[in-house]
Amino acid sequence: MGRGMGTGVTGCRLQVTSFLLLLSTILLAICMLVSLGWGAQEGAWKQAVEPWKWHFPRDHGAHPEFRTEWWYFTGNLMDTAGKQYGYQLTFFRQGVALQPKDPQNSWSIRDLYLAHFTLTDVSLSRFWCDERTSRTGPGLAGAAKDGMDVRLLNWSATMKGNTILVEARRQDMELSLKLTPRKPLVLQGEDGLSRKGPNKGQASYYYSYTELQTNGTIKTPGSQTALRVEGTSWFDHEFGSNQLAQDQVGWDWFSLHLSSGQDVMIYLLRRKDGSPDPASSGTLVDRSGKATHLALSEISVEPLSHWKSTQSGATYPSQWRIAIRSANINLVVGPLVANQELVTEGSTGVTYWEGAVAGTGTSGGGQVTCKGYIEMTGYAGSLGGVF
Amino acid sequence: MKIVTKSFLRYLPRRLSLSLLQLMGVACGVAAVVGMTMSAITALASFTKAVEFLSGKATHSMQRPAGPTEESALAGLARDPAVVRFSPVIDRRLRLANGDLVRFLGVDPFLDRAIRPEIADAEVRPAKDNAAGALSFLLDDDAVLIDKELARQLQLSSGSLLQTTRGALRVIGTFSNPSGEPLVLMDIAHAQKLFTLNGFVDRVDLILADESGFRGRWEEGFLIQSGRQRSAAFSAMLGAFRLNLEALSLLALFVGVFLIYNTAMFAVLNRRRDTGILRSLGARRYEIIAAFVTEILILGFIGGALGGIIGYFLTRFLTALIGTSITDLYFFLRPEPSAWSNWILFAGVALGCGASMLGGALPLLEIVRTDPAKALSGRVAGRQSGRNAHRTSLAGLLILAVSTVLLILPRTHIYVGFAGVFGFLIGVSLLTGSVLVAIHPGLRWVLGRVGRLPGKVAAGNIRQNLGRTAVAVAAFMVALSMSVGLGSMIGSFRQSLVWWMESQLQGELYIGKIGEADVPESFYEEVKKMPGLGGADPYRNVQVLYRDVPVYVASVDASVVQRFTHFGWLKGGNENWEQVKRGGVVISESFSRRFGIKSGDTMTLHGAHGPAEFRVGGIFYDYTTEHGLLMMDRSTFLRVFGDHTINSLAAFIDPDNPHRLELIQEIKKKAEARGLPVQTQSQLRASILKVFDNTFAVTRSMRALAIVVAFFGIAGALLTLFMERRHDFGIYRALGFSTGQIATMTLLEGLGMGAVSYLLSMGAGTILAVLLINVINLRSFNWTIFFYPELGPYAWTAITALVASLGAAAYPIWKVCRTYPQMQIREE
Repeated sequence: MGRGMGTGVTGCRLQVTSFLLLLSTILLAICMLVSLGWGAQEGAWKQAVEPWKWHFPRDHGAHPEFRTEWWYFTGNLMDTAGKQYGYQLTFFRQGVALQPKDPQNSWSIRDLYLAHFTLTDVSLSRFWCDERTSRTGPGLAGAAKDGMDVRLLNWSATMKGNTILVEARRQDMELSLKLTPRKPLVLQGEDGLSRKGPNKGQASYYYSYTELQTNGTIKTPGSQTALRVEGTSWFDHEFGSNQLAQDQVGWDWFSLHLSSGQDVMIYLLRRKDGSPDPASSGTLVDRSGKATHLALSEISVEPLSHWKSTQSGATYPSQWRIAIRSANINLVVGPLVANQELVTEGSTGVTYWEGAVAGTGTSGGGQVTCKGYIEMTGYAGSLGGVF
Repeated sequence: MKIVTKSFLRYLPRRLSLSLLQLMGVACGVAAVVGMTMSAITALASFTKAVEFLSGKATHSMQRPAGPTEESALAGLARDPAVVRFSPVIDRRLRLANGDLVRFLGVDPFLDRAIRPEIADAEVRPAKDNAAGALSFLLDDDAVLIDKELARQLQLSSGSLLQTTRGALRVIGTFSNPSGEPLVLMDIAHAQKLFTLNGFVDRVDLILADESGFRGRWEEGFLIQSGRQRSAAFSAMLGAFRLNLEALSLLALFVGVFLIYNTAMFAVLNRRRDTGILRSLGARRYEIIAAFVTEILILGFIGGALGGIIGYFLTRFLTALIGTSITDLYFFLRPEPSAWSNWILFAGVALGCGASMLGGALPLLEIVRTDPAKALSGRVAGRQSGRNAHRTSLAGLLILAVSTVLLILPRTHIYVGFAGVFGFLIGVSLLTGSVLVAIHPGLRWVLGRVGRLPGKVAAGNIRQNLGRTAVAVAAFMVALSMSVGLGSMIGSFRQSLVWWMESQLQGELYIGKIGEADVPESFYEEVKKMPGLGGADPYRNVQVLYRDVPVYVASVDASVVQRFTHFGWLKGGNENWEQVKRGGVVISESFSRRFGIKSGDTMTLHGAHGPAEFRVGGIFYDYTTEHGLLMMDRSTFLRVFGDHTINSLAAFIDPDNPHRLELIQEIKKKAEARGLPVQTQSQLRASILKVFDNTFAVTRSMRALAIVVAFFGIAGALLTLFMERRHDFGIYRALGFSTGQIATMTLLEGLGMGAVSYLLSMGAGTILAVLLINVINLRSFNWTIFFYPELGPYAWTAITALVASLGAAAYPIWKVCRTYPQMQIREE
């Protein structure tokens, strides 16, 4: 399954120093069960097989008939003093049972909601993250079915008209942004059916707002006060019921805004032998918002250098040469802050790197710069069979 | 080592039996103090630890002033800017099949991890047949985590079943719990189901960033307490109990020091003659002092160390007793006896040496001042003159006067009361010398009648050796007085409780159990409608805060209670309920005394809709809680607190109802069908008395300790007298006394001293009981215990005195029988 699934079981060492064994075991258990096809015995989780009949704004909302769903916001921001920041706010819904055992009891679990919130301060070379988990409970978490209104405690993403409001807050870290699409939404893969492997159902429904004009305020533990910021965000919404194949160890996911006005999304599913899975692909969105599907053969991604995490011991690529031959795009991209890794205790969760990046290169022969986000999973242990 | 000191120390093994007795005296004294104080400290510390552990990282807690809190408040809390983290908690107690009550927490593990990370560190091992593993905590209705200590005690592991009165629960893992409180953990969803609390939680633990802002938004209708307020409230709960333990520790200290003092004093007095000899041989004063001090310190050191060890083992026993009491009365606790520490040894030695020095100082001073020639004559100094005794008595009277002032001073701290009581005991004990002088003719007559010539000699000996006998009698008397006093106080308390039960607990059946099994409202409605039933009283008892301290509010059906019970009122009668029917309250004596509220006053409580005013209609006697209880009608309670919980239902049936027995059976059947526990009136009363008796287990242990002290006191005195007068026996022999007569004499000396001590203790003990009831209990618990004179404590104490005297005399008698034939008048 595509990007982000991994974060369902991760936490940040930064704040959860003693990550809770119980919780982790529970989450891991869910994932294990999911991978064992535990839910499938009920045979009722819907599979991403047929092309989806999209209806918006309804499809911005939850699709509880699928087991997994996420709303994923990342963005590159700049404050009034010209300092650069990055943010990630992600909501996951993980179906546990199609029907809660006791529908009369609000605590009886159908879905678990998880969320990750990170901030990157480029000028200070700092990265902070936090996470939340909750069941639906008596109004503690949930996602509306008729439009985007997903909440987890005091973190939320809601869409009113054409504007998405994302908010997250903990004591020393805040995010309150208004996101307005500059381009129409893009259905990824084939009309929004994004294949993640060779088997039937090994796919998800996936669409994006690749370019969202963003303004609002953030507060980082480094800034102490709220800062006015503006910039560009990327939004993904994905839902499905299946996971990575056994021979897939992880994925690299790229979302880039080029100064030429183009947006690039690439995801590469890595196999055990290091080769990309044939299901890997990408999308190129032109200045006007027109999207073109990119097959693996059109894409080349080559790591140029590596960075070793002192926390997890994992070695990640830290610079890439990215080429999209069909569009004559050549880029060299690197992280704005080296350490944007989210770590959980080795045995219990998944460790991954997700952070703000920037680069330079050419597109259609002209010089371009780019900004965006990259996610890399499976470098600190295989995810195959778990997701 | 100086030769004088050496000669002294050689004496110790030479008179091994006496030395051992003295050693045991010091050891028992130290053990009493160490055992009592340490177990009190341990139990209270484990209470604090339990409170802290359960509060976790929460800075505040929030709940409805009474009863469960609607979970709908949580969504608002999740979005409140002042709330950093929150965790709803269902906090109940659960009775295990073995009868133990354990704390039960229902939490959401996701929310709770920020508050109590230790609990969430649980080790969950999926059972083989359960693929869901850890997930079963969230999904299985019966899945629980238990703390490791509980698992060890019950020999449970992952996959085993924990049998409880609410059914079997499946253990899926264990967690370490540093607090002394057994803990069972369940997911909040299943906890709600288990306790039929759908939609409600007991409280919400919070981590707040901005308290005043939060209070501004939530204070209306909710009780918000900071961690400090919460632990202060808990401490206040335990306040009187803590005081009680402190008093018992002080008592142990008093008794212990008294015993050591006594022992050391005998050790010194014993050696008057030896000092005389040594002085006349040229030993200097300071050499004598050094020798004495060395001897006393050796005694104190070894005795103290031994006492520390015995005390440590005593702690293990007493801690469990105290834990049971706390569990019965306040809070479920499993206090762990503290681990061995060399400090215990150190404290024992310090106490042993200190108290011994204190005991030895006065006689030592007297000895070194004495003319060696006088000391040589041996017995003179031991025979304290009557004048001396009267001087001591004068001091005693002075102390008694001061104590009386302390005791009658109104509104003083409870410690002043303690001081008064101890002063009384010291004062009375100083009077013994004079009493012995005064009753000598009588004693001589009595003992003469019993034992003829040996009896008369025995009486004379007691009078002649006042220096020793007075001290022994004083120590014995104090110990016996404590036995009489504590016994009478407990007896009176028990009688008062029985009277209270007879006045209040008039229901035929009691359904449900407070804190364990609540009664569904529908059941109450069903029972209420049963034809022929006199009335049903839905009882709800809940802790609320009044003037920031915890008190209890009970809701009752005032009309039913008015008709079927006859409360003990301080003033008036059952017409006091009229005020309750009109929305007022009646308050317990403890509430009235604690807050100075009288009948007719108006008081304010914080309800679910803000402050509510109540007029006080009457004050009733009550022994259920020292914190104060107020009762209101259920309609008032529902209006003010909105809490529909019913803890127990009392069913009343007119005694002349011809279908009484059938009705009782029918209600029982209905209750059992719903799985509700049913108690008859007598069962309920018996269980209350059981709790009462458990509560006084510690006090009874102290009583037993006093007896041990008494035994050593009197045994030490008799043995000393005997040792000193070994050569007198030669004279008796020369005068024609038979072995039997000497034995009789020794026995009668013991019995005579025991009898005098007992007679004195009858008076002193009765006064002590009155003081405990009217000063200590009234001031610490704010309730009146009615003094019921009972024969029991006096009889028991008489038997104790007799056995102790006989036991104490046994050894000297045995010695007499064994060595008498060889005794000669070598020195005369």
